[in-house]
Amino acid sequence: MRIESVEQLRKLEKKYRGETESHPVRVHICYGPGCLANGAQEIGDRFRKVIKEKKLKNFKVEAIKETGCHGFCERGPLVVLEPEGTFYTKVKVKDVEAIVEKSLGKSEIIESLLYTNPADDKKIQRYKDIPFYAHQKRIALRNLGQIDQTSLHDYIAAGGYQGLAKALTAMNPNKVIKEVELSGIRGRGGGGFATGRKWATCAKIESDVRYVVCNGDEGDPGAFMDRAIMEGDPHTVLEGMIICAYAVGSTQGYVYVRDEYPLAVVHLQKAIEDAEAVGLIGENILGTGFSFHIAISRGAGAFVCGESSALMRSVAGEVGEPRAKYIRSVVKGLKDKPTVLNNVETFACIPVILSEGGKAFSKIGTPKSTGTKAFSLVGKIENTGLIEVPMGTTLREIIYNIGGGIKDGKPFKAVQTGGPSGGCLPESKLDLPVDFDTLTEAGSMMGSGGMIVMDDATCVVDVARYFLSFLVEESCGKCVPCREGLYQLHQSAVRICEGKGTDDDLEIMQHLSDMIVIGSLCGLGTSGPNPFLSTIRYFRDEYEAHIKEKKCPAGVCTALITYIITDRCTGCLACIPACATDAITGKKGQVHQLAQDKCDRCGACYAVCKYDAIEIH
Amino acid sequence: MNHDFSKLPEIFDRYSRNPESLIAVLQDIQQEYHYLPCEALQETAKNLSVPLSKVFSVSTFYNAFSLTPRGKKIIRICKGTACHIRGAYQLQHQFETMLGIKAGETSKDLKYTLEVVNCVGACAMAPVVIVDEKYHGSVDVSNVKRLIKRG
Amino acid sequence: MIKFTINGKLVQADQGDMLLTVIRREGIDVPSQCHHQAVEPSGACRLCMVEITRQEWDGWSKFVTSCLYPVEDGLMVTTHSAKVIQLRKTIIDLYLARHPNSTEIMRLASEYGVTRTTYETVADGDDCIMCGLCTRICAHMGFSAISTVGRGHDKEIAPPLKEAPTDCTGCLSCANNCPTNFIEFTRDSNSLTIWGRTFETLACSQCGKTTITRDFAEHLSKTRDIPIAYFEVCDDCHRKETAKTMGRVVNWTREVQA
Repeated sequence: MRIESVEQLRKLEKKYRGETESHPVRVHICYGPGCLANGAQEIGDRFRKVIKEKKLKNFKVEAIKETGCHGFCERGPLVVLEPEGTFYTKVKVKDVEAIVEKSLGKSEIIESLLYTNPADDKKIQRYKDIPFYAHQKRIALRNLGQIDQTSLHDYIAAGGYQGLAKALTAMNPNKVIKEVELSGIRGRGGGGFATGRKWATCAKIESDVRYVVCNGDEGDPGAFMDRAIMEGDPHTVLEGMIICAYAVGSTQGYVYVRDEYPLAVVHLQKAIEDAEAVGLIGENILGTGFSFHIAISRGAGAFVCGESSALMRSVAGEVGEPRAKYIRSVVKGLKDKPTVLNNVETFACIPVILSEGGKAFSKIGTPKSTGTKAFSLVGKIENTGLIEVPMGTTLREIIYNIGGGIKDGKPFKAVQTGGPSGGCLPESKLDLPVDFDTLTEAGSMMGSGGMIVMDDATCVVDVARYFLSFLVEESCGKCVPCREGLYQLHQSAVRICEGKGTDDDLEIMQHLSDMIVIGSLCGLGTSGPNPFLSTIRYFRDEYEAHIKEKKCPAGVCTALITYIITDRCTGCLACIPACATDAITGKKGQVHQLAQDKCDRCGACYAVCKYDAIEIH
Repeated sequence: MNHDFSKLPEIFDRYSRNPESLIAVLQDIQQEYHYLPCEALQETAKNLSVPLSKVFSVSTFYNAFSLTPRGKKIIRICKGTACHIRGAYQLQHQFETMLGIKAGETSKDLKYTLEVVNCVGACAMAPVVIVDEKYHGSVDVSNVKRLIKRG
Repeated sequence: MIKFTINGKLVQADQGDMLLTVIRREGIDVPSQCHHQAVEPSGACRLCMVEITRQEWDGWSKFVTSCLYPVEDGLMVTTHSAKVIQLRKTIIDLYLARHPNSTEIMRLASEYGVTRTTYETVADGDDCIMCGLCTRICAHMGFSAISTVGRGHDKEIAPPLKEAPTDCTGCLSCANNCPTNFIEFTRDSNSLTIWGRTFETLACSQCGKTTITRDFAEHLSKTRDIPIAYFEVCDDCHRKETAKTMGRVVNWTREVQA
């Protein structure tokens, strides 16, 4: 069935919403990456089976929804009972029968599955009352956890494609651009370029063909916002793209999805097919005469393809080598045609900007960084997960109010934002508001939204080495400063981590970094030295400890540490088979011995010891 | 190694036969044979009208492609930042020692391939190891043996 | 006409000209390793970087590769500012660590006063500086017989599958344009070997000197509609032939005019 008009879309919205609301209880099972890995699929299957067996009177199987990432990955697998919002955490397959019997059959709440607030040890029933959620504001992630992840039916019921309908029928392309400009939204991929201005430039350039490309090459390690959106709410990305296409006058779009996200490809493909079937993508959209097609382009594993010119070459089936961008891609992009390239999260915000108005969006956040921003909050933090907050929220609010502080109550050391191009900020910067400009001034950057929290057991020199090694592997190898310069920078970092660094090293690294920044061809190179530059700025003493005292204060750099078995050892034998180099010997009940000459400091014994008997020196 | 290449025309037919389809076609071939056999590269060049040198260049540039046969069981260790600071390196070391191969290598008996991969976006359950297609979260070195055996 | 300054001197250029072209036309020596007039600039070696600014930039300046930067009205270009020289030195320094035995790199290093590398010498560094000129010229010639392989620090130039390239004709454009003379080829009395493949060479029907390979001749013959016999005469003998013809043309013109 094709949706021929906006009126028909509105009627469908009402009808579909009515259908959803007719279920007195809906079971939302989180099928986000974290929950899936912890068995969400098995839980879903079990629910269907148990419901069939129990023959509940007022519960239909259709009321079970497989939703996108609900956010609180730390507590997954998550099962939410809507519309009440009852939030069951760490659900296991064996819990399903009880949930069906008690919560679905008799509206009882299973206390043991509820979240316990660590502040007062009290159970919290509804997720909205949990601090992790209470401090958030969701725009890009608005449908995650709320609708069945690939259901067009659910997306329409949630007001989906209304922004597009408004654009196509009540606004001309220019007005759409004006609305986006009014919202003040800046590119969520990290660059922070004004989206409205980008669209306006593209629309103005004379050309027979223009392209709209969605950058789903979420390459920053530690970031999974875009993955969650593409998998959990693919239609919002498509709707944002169609609106953009209408505004700039494009008839063909591409979603570029990185190779590591196969499920995103599947869900986007289904969403495109479903939207095509009802005439929301393709010829004569909503009977307005406007046509736009979307194809998926799969990446093949290259971080550099997140860079616009490399991405466009990759879409064209070529090696992802960037080109010098003295002519911008909005002028000469994909196949040398004017191209709008926006990130997944940016497109996900567009439908809301259109339906609620640009002005409403601009009131959220700060004057120069409007709206909200999604972050993946990971690392040594209590509440890992996916969050969205108004721009201008401080790092401290994010890490402590939402994130619940550092894991196991350890001291905070640094927070890394912006991926390999970003940097590490210390305790003294925690009260900075998170927006595009403030983080850049502090020597890091917002980036696409990965936020990795580190405790005192994280060595920042090792982190710098890690990012440099990542960049050396991901450099395309075209220009000399990046190919040879980052390689040498990494070599120096390795030497320092191995205790072979000299005082000269830091000076040489500083100079080389400055040259790589001005000399490299693309963003990967020009921001490549950031892992070093930001850590040397705030953690110079830690570098000096490695160089002068040959010590790794965090106990991470293997060449500078030794493992010692203390007399807390109970002689449990657990560490002996764990040791891959047979360095540990001992008898049951007696303190074990560790032969330092055989030990390769892999940390396996440390990880398996239940008695904290092994120390790092 | 002998392969049945009769599937290739069907793969080419999924896309328009032009240079733009190169990456997509190579991905499908990789999916089918778990690596890119020489003959398949030559056929791809012919069918998409792309110089063989470009096919080779693309297939060696991107991480997703392998030009050598891979093992029956593919173990991938995520090296994202969250996984790194939660001990992915130690895991890699343990896998390498136990399997006797380095990351990026395949065991001689073609049983195992060990790979480190860029962030797979499952950071909340770091460190992550993916055995074939199954994700394993919060892995520590003591789980390595079990993962190698059972996956 | 575009007007701008290079090192303070006012110069003119056509729209679409690249800075490097104009800089060199002005007789200013700016080094580059990956540039060749015949092929599109790539911006890989970064040696030709210059500092640019504009009146309205208020003292702010930026660094661009002059081979890729189109001329603009009012631009102020500095080809040898302190920072630019520092950058070139660093690039040469990095080259020196990777290609310690290359005479071309050593020449460049001595020109810029870099006596030894600051960095760790790369163990297996050969003379290929990965400028990619050979692959671009090969594609430009219409062969695409070789390409870059892999990526990053390990990137190299090779024929497909690292086997003798089927698309190569032995035209030698790659070897003759390699800035560090790294691409090896050997000649025999009637053959030529490059990239592991041996080609039959043609001999001049008049003096017996080797001309080009049969594959290359056949390619030219097919694509440019030149009879293959043309390549069976060497350049010197062609010139002798031309001299005779030219003589006739000149006489003929005189006759007509008279």
